[in-house]
Amino acid sequence: MKQIRTIQHKISSWLPAGFLLLVMLPLILLPLASVFIYAFKGGLGNLVLSLTTDDVLFAIRFSLIIAFATALVNAALGTYAAYVLSKTRFPGRTQLGIILNLPVAIPNVVVGTSLLLLWGPIGLFGQALEPMGLQPMFTPVGVLLAHIFVTFPYMLGTIKPVLDDLETTYEEAAYTMGANRLQTFFHVVLPALKSGLLTGSLLTFAHSLGEFGATIMVSGNLRLRTQTAPLYIFSQFEAGNIQAANSVAALLSLISFVLFSIIIYFAARNSRK
Amino acid sequence: MVFAAMGLIVWTVWPWLPSQKSSKPQTLVLYGFAILQDVIAKEIFPAFQKKWHKETGRRVELVGSFAGSGTVTNQLIMGVPAQLAILSTELDVKRLQKAGVVGTEFRKKLPCQGIVNGTPFVIVVRPGNPKNIHDFSDLTRPGIRIVHPDPLTSGAANWSIVAEYGAALRRPGATVGAGKNLLRGIWQNVAVQAGSARAARTQFEQGFGDALITYEQDVLPQDKAASPRKLEIIYPRSTIFSEHTLVVINKHIAKEERQMIQSFVDFLWSEEGQRIFVKNGFRSVDQRLNAGNRKFGHVEDLFTIKDFGGWDKAKKDIIDQIWKTGVLKELKR
Repeated sequence: MKQIRTIQHKISSWLPAGFLLLVMLPLILLPLASVFIYAFKGGLGNLVLSLTTDDVLFAIRFSLIIAFATALVNAALGTYAAYVLSKTRFPGRTQLGIILNLPVAIPNVVVGTSLLLLWGPIGLFGQALEPMGLQPMFTPVGVLLAHIFVTFPYMLGTIKPVLDDLETTYEEAAYTMGANRLQTFFHVVLPALKSGLLTGSLLTFAHSLGEFGATIMVSGNLRLRTQTAPLYIFSQFEAGNIQAANSVAALLSLISFVLFSIIIYFAARNSRK
Repeated sequence: MVFAAMGLIVWTVWPWLPSQKSSKPQTLVLYGFAILQDVIAKEIFPAFQKKWHKETGRRVELVGSFAGSGTVTNQLIMGVPAQLAILSTELDVKRLQKAGVVGTEFRKKLPCQGIVNGTPFVIVVRPGNPKNIHDFSDLTRPGIRIVHPDPLTSGAANWSIVAEYGAALRRPGATVGAGKNLLRGIWQNVAVQAGSARAARTQFEQGFGDALITYEQDVLPQDKAASPRKLEIIYPRSTIFSEHTLVVINKHIAKEERQMIQSFVDFLWSEEGQRIFVKNGFRSVDQRLNAGNRKFGHVEDLFTIKDFGGWDKAKKDIIDQIWKTGVLKELKR
């Protein structure tokens, strides 16, 4: 009797998860699985072969570097923005906060186009820079600019809630001991942000790794120069090389899985504190 | 884990480490319309690299980017650093001239007015031709689903429209309205539009639609393909022969690159270069070489854009007036 009840109990506790799996199967899990199925279609040898061409190696390296640089820049900029928005009071603060979060809502293609129209050879800044021989668009700099724009809200979104919740008493204590704003920030505020910074950076990194819409506009999609891994996937898919495209897609999914595992690990550790 | 992260970082920046920086090769940047990707990246580029190295002892790195002809044209207008571009239609060349990207003088210096190669437009159907399609007129039957590239971004789509229109008019005993009627019938059945001919083929191969209108070159069976394409080519009685134009963007060519780029341009029209195109399914500008590919099909009545007064006139009369403001409006698309 007791056994049956435990089995019943087990089933009822598994039911919601089972139902979730069933719903997610056609929506998310099967499409993801098909990436891997197509990647392995030509066998493991073919997969390795299509992952070791010059184009793919460059695209992956380039994507990793851009993602790293984006995470670095936005870690600094995002933290600063979060600090200003959370710890200072000025008119228009709320509105500025909303505007800085807009990049997640604007279609990335539009971001790319507006960057082109500003920095491109026919754009406002672009025309001013041209005589100096500077031309950020269609170079790695252009790609970086686009990624910074598109992923900016992730860092801000991770850091600002932490700052909002941070007890002001510690800061006040620091001030009464004669610390200035900068000292307080580095010795009191920053240590509290450690895991938020890491989560935010990884989130930014992951989003930059998969960014497509803005990148295709500003990069010129040049192989061995500005072609990121998602652009390579798109080009190969357009050309009908589905196996090659999915090989890189599988690798990217794998990297993202690892990244998000780390994010969740740190987020969990953070909330336990 | 720290070691894994360090390893990844070292691997990532490896090619840019000082020890890896050997002599910097010259580079050539070419933008091309979609179906050129395979032949340029895998055959023309490597052949030229070898030739250039043999002649001068120097390395040249070739950078290519491929998309629908209209998309490439937009990128060029936006200012991508292309030195050469091969476009599907002369329409796109004219757009570049209008935007001031290129002048008109470069074409006079090129062989064949800049036309590199060509290919006729064909209909592609499922194996065994289950819908019994033999000509453009069969595509107007109710229930046929057509995959067509999008005229906004694809050169192939513009060629296709003239092909469809022209095929109807050149039928013996055709009336004046025949071209428009055929266009209306076909576009009523267009189920999917893709950004480029290559993307349209990918969609068709994924199982969409009963018929696809595209370049013969893009659907000819390739020797090297692991699995033969599961499709069948139908040659219409009359169809257009598309001609693809090279564009030289002089303002992006530095003085020291001029010789190398001229040599590449010459290579495109050399017998070796043209033979590579023929091997890959393009028809050469040199008629003698076209016997080199036995897979080329026969078209009874092959016409060119000149038969319709050139692209300027065809764009105004056929694409804009008859197709865009006529057929599309009537079909409420």
